[in-house]
Amino acid sequence: MAPRTNGVGIRPEETRICVVMVGLPARGKSYIAQKAQRYLKWLSIPAATFNVGNYRRNDAPHPSADFFDTNNAEGERKRRAAAEAAVADMMKWFKSGGVVGILDATNSTKERRKWVLDRINQEGVDVIFVESKCDEEELIMANIRDVKTTSPDYQGQDPEQAALDFRNRIRNYEKVYKTINADGDEDHLTYLKIMNVGRQVIINRIQDYLQSRIVYYLMNLHIRPRSVWLSRHGESMLNLEGRIGGDADLSHRGEEYALKLPELVLESVGSDRPLTVWTSTLKRTIATARHLPKHYNQLQWKALDELDAGVCDGMTYQEIADMYPEDFQARDEDKYNYRYRGGESYRDVVIRLEPIIMELERSEDILIISHQAVIRCIYAYFMQKTQEESPWVPVPLHTLMKLTPRAYGTEVQIYKAEVKAVSTWRGKGSTAKHEDPKPEGGV
Amino acid sequence: MDTLLTAEIAANAPRYRRKSSTFIDGIHDVPSEVGNLAPAQLYSTMSGRLFHSGRIAIVMVGLPARGKTHICVSMARYLSWLGVKTRIFHLGDYRRATVGQGGHVPQDYFYPNASPASVMLRQKILKKCREDIYGWLNHENGQVAIYDAVNPTASGRRALAKEFAKHDVQTLFIESFVDDQEILKENARNVKISSPDFHGMDPDEAAKRYLKRIETKIPVFETMAEEELNYVKMINAGQAFFYNNVSFNYLSHRIVFYLTNLHIKHRTTFFVRAGTATEEDSYKADAPLSAEGEAYAQVMAETLMRHREQERQAIIDQGGPDVPLRPLTIWTSTRLRTIQTAEPLEKLGYKVRHRSQMSQINPGVCEKLSERAIRNLYPEEVEKHELDPYHHRYPRAESYHDLAVRLEPIILELEREQNDLLIIAHESVLRVLYSYLMHCSTRDIPKLKFPRDEIIEIIPAAYQNEAKRIHIPGLDPRMIPGSPEDIRIPVPPGFDDFGKRLSPISIPAMMMGTPPSATEVTVGFATGDRKGSISVSNTGGLRSVSGSFSGGERPVTEKIVNNTAKEMVEDKVEDED
Repeated sequence: MAPRTNGVGIRPEETRICVVMVGLPARGKSYIAQKAQRYLKWLSIPAATFNVGNYRRNDAPHPSADFFDTNNAEGERKRRAAAEAAVADMMKWFKSGGVVGILDATNSTKERRKWVLDRINQEGVDVIFVESKCDEEELIMANIRDVKTTSPDYQGQDPEQAALDFRNRIRNYEKVYKTINADGDEDHLTYLKIMNVGRQVIINRIQDYLQSRIVYYLMNLHIRPRSVWLSRHGESMLNLEGRIGGDADLSHRGEEYALKLPELVLESVGSDRPLTVWTSTLKRTIATARHLPKHYNQLQWKALDELDAGVCDGMTYQEIADMYPEDFQARDEDKYNYRYRGGESYRDVVIRLEPIIMELERSEDILIISHQAVIRCIYAYFMQKTQEESPWVPVPLHTLMKLTPRAYGTEVQIYKAEVKAVSTWRGKGSTAKHEDPKPEGGV
Repeated sequence: MDTLLTAEIAANAPRYRRKSSTFIDGIHDVPSEVGNLAPAQLYSTMSGRLFHSGRIAIVMVGLPARGKTHICVSMARYLSWLGVKTRIFHLGDYRRATVGQGGHVPQDYFYPNASPASVMLRQKILKKCREDIYGWLNHENGQVAIYDAVNPTASGRRALAKEFAKHDVQTLFIESFVDDQEILKENARNVKISSPDFHGMDPDEAAKRYLKRIETKIPVFETMAEEELNYVKMINAGQAFFYNNVSFNYLSHRIVFYLTNLHIKHRTTFFVRAGTATEEDSYKADAPLSAEGEAYAQVMAETLMRHREQERQAIIDQGGPDVPLRPLTIWTSTRLRTIQTAEPLEKLGYKVRHRSQMSQINPGVCEKLSERAIRNLYPEEVEKHELDPYHHRYPRAESYHDLAVRLEPIILELEREQNDLLIIAHESVLRVLYSYLMHCSTRDIPKLKFPRDEIIEIIPAAYQNEAKRIHIPGLDPRMIPGSPEDIRIPVPPGFDDFGKRLSPISIPAMMMGTPPSATEVTVGFATGDRKGSISVSNTGGLRSVSGSFSGGERPVTEKIVNNTAKEMVEDKVEDED
């Protein structure tokens, strides 16, 4: 039987956590929720966000600010019903194997938090409250302008009017809002409170490693604008032969790409501000980076080395299919989890890339020159690709990719070097040496 | 210059010493070589500093018995592991060195309205300590200086931050704030119990008196609330953290992450090897246990159970409380032989977790090659390897450094774990994890020995950890040193005091010339005669080959390796700043 992975990432057994967001509207709660979900899913930790607003919209699609007035009994009832529906769905999801559920709502009163805590604990799920508290008027206004004027609540309305209404909605929340443990009687809660975008942080009663990991990740997030550039190495001698792995030199055309890369990077960056360059420890990425400007800092990471194909290293796909037919088939069935004999699976690569992602989150402009599988994994993190999709994403040679994280997703730009190269993409079941990627999907 | 400074630190701070054995926790050693103490350094620069962060002073804040030493030592351990050059400066060491053996500071030493003579003395001690901090940061390429002192007043802390800033050093304060009486009493009991002052006294009474003494000695203490300073306040040993982040800084986040996983509960870690497998020579084949391997798993499990029970009994016999054994959790890699080695324990109902990060070091091209072949095929690589066996990687292989980086998340979980922990893994993984807990130099890590007939037990203590070795009786001698799954990556010739330096584990004379089935990773050569003895690729007695170690006694029963942790704790009793 082909070897199967039995690693389960960093997930501790039997842990189930509900991350409950807390905070007034326009404090970046959804941004935090979205980032946390992406990070966890990428680590194979089943995570999902339950946005109470979406449930409420079923009932009240375009409410005015009055709806959120605590004296409005009808509004109050509907909002409570929405929260109940969201929590009920989350519980169903936990029963089907969920590990980290994120409840995205304001949860701005003690009473609501108590209700959420009791309701969720009752099902044997731990709760960590994550509060974003911000008093800087400018930041709040920027957030209101950017995000809320595009909110489904205000669809088709005048943006000025929408912003005004939204301000009023926030006022209504402010009337009843209590920050966590403001009265000193919520000290038993597990919570993370981020104040003024990380200027102050309170961490209370972290219960396990996974919680500490989430807290650490959230503390590393920053909101300064930046981009990440990804490129594979130039075409290698083994690429030409259709062989995988190895530590080969660049082909003639690969050299050509290395020479062209500085120009391509300059075009994409748009100025001569220096990037930090991360390569793997293999010859072909180091050679690809060697013509980049001298004032770029270059670092080699073992963690960026190509997926280790174990016994199949240096073989063509045909040779693998001939020698290890069962393995070849098993890999196509579940490419993400298939671990080469004596080598790695995509899942293993993701685990070893985790420190890289943490570094990426806290860094600014980085250019990564690495390998097909590794770039697929990093790309999957930024683009939220599923485990079924990510191992099949075409990442052509001689192409530079620029990823720019935005509030609700990541923007991608592609720069082609116009230097010919073989294709190393392979479709399911195929043993072709060089095959053109299917037109749909991918980069 | 450097040696002078080091010598002076050594003279003024008697606990700084050079490492004498890998069985003693090296966390307080003065590194004997520049840059050899960074198992998981992510990247390095010419200066040896992480270039994102400049020079940093971590300044501890907190009254005695708040666990400051434990926090300092743990942080230093973790930061050094990450490749940050870190050193702890305990102000108490300087005070003791100044007042001399058996001397005492004046009664009003810590008072805000102390006499001029006491103020002078205080200033003198502080000055000496700070000079050493600057000396180390400026001339010895240090990056993080951990300044362990009470620092009780806000004005003092502000002045300190200003002074450090003048020297171009960023300051991060870490306060350990405890108002939970149980934790206080526990801390006081643990550290102060051995003091002659409290001899024969009821432990609770001793703890109470000790805490009282602190109050009288240090009457003024202001907890941190300085908005303009970077600080982390750790409340009741990690129950809560308050983090005031003036300047965004990678290291401080990292430290908070680490601290959220730190706890003060007492628990031990055991290391054992996996049993021998059927297909012995291959890294790539994930072979199951052989019959001998299965027998080993059984005996190992029995020995461990017996040992834990004996230790519990020993505590009771010494008048300790009759408490049940702490729960035990087992971690293995995802390799079959480690999983199978855990099976006898799993059958007893212990929880086993498999961690893919704990797979053995990847031998790359060296797999299945004899050392002779490696030398023939990759003479240049062998040369490079000999210069730096820790960081060098053979083609396609992992270096120990790569392995350490991969194991970093495991380190944090190791800190987090509250149960006793048994780690069953390949020797290469044990080396790296052991080096974290015992702070070994990167020069020693590739050569640490974990023979199969020993369970290694690491017992944590605030000032430094202790290592114990428990003999597993009745094993087939062939399997003891053998590492069939190992790689024969050559390591450079040993040092003159090779045997002594490495560890007190001795290789019995009878082990020489074991059958070739028992292969050995670390193939040594005779000191000063490299060419002569290359092909000794498969005996456990390689150190005997080097000639510097001549067999010797193997502990028949459990043997405790003495170190001086106890003496140091005693010394701490008077350490009240």
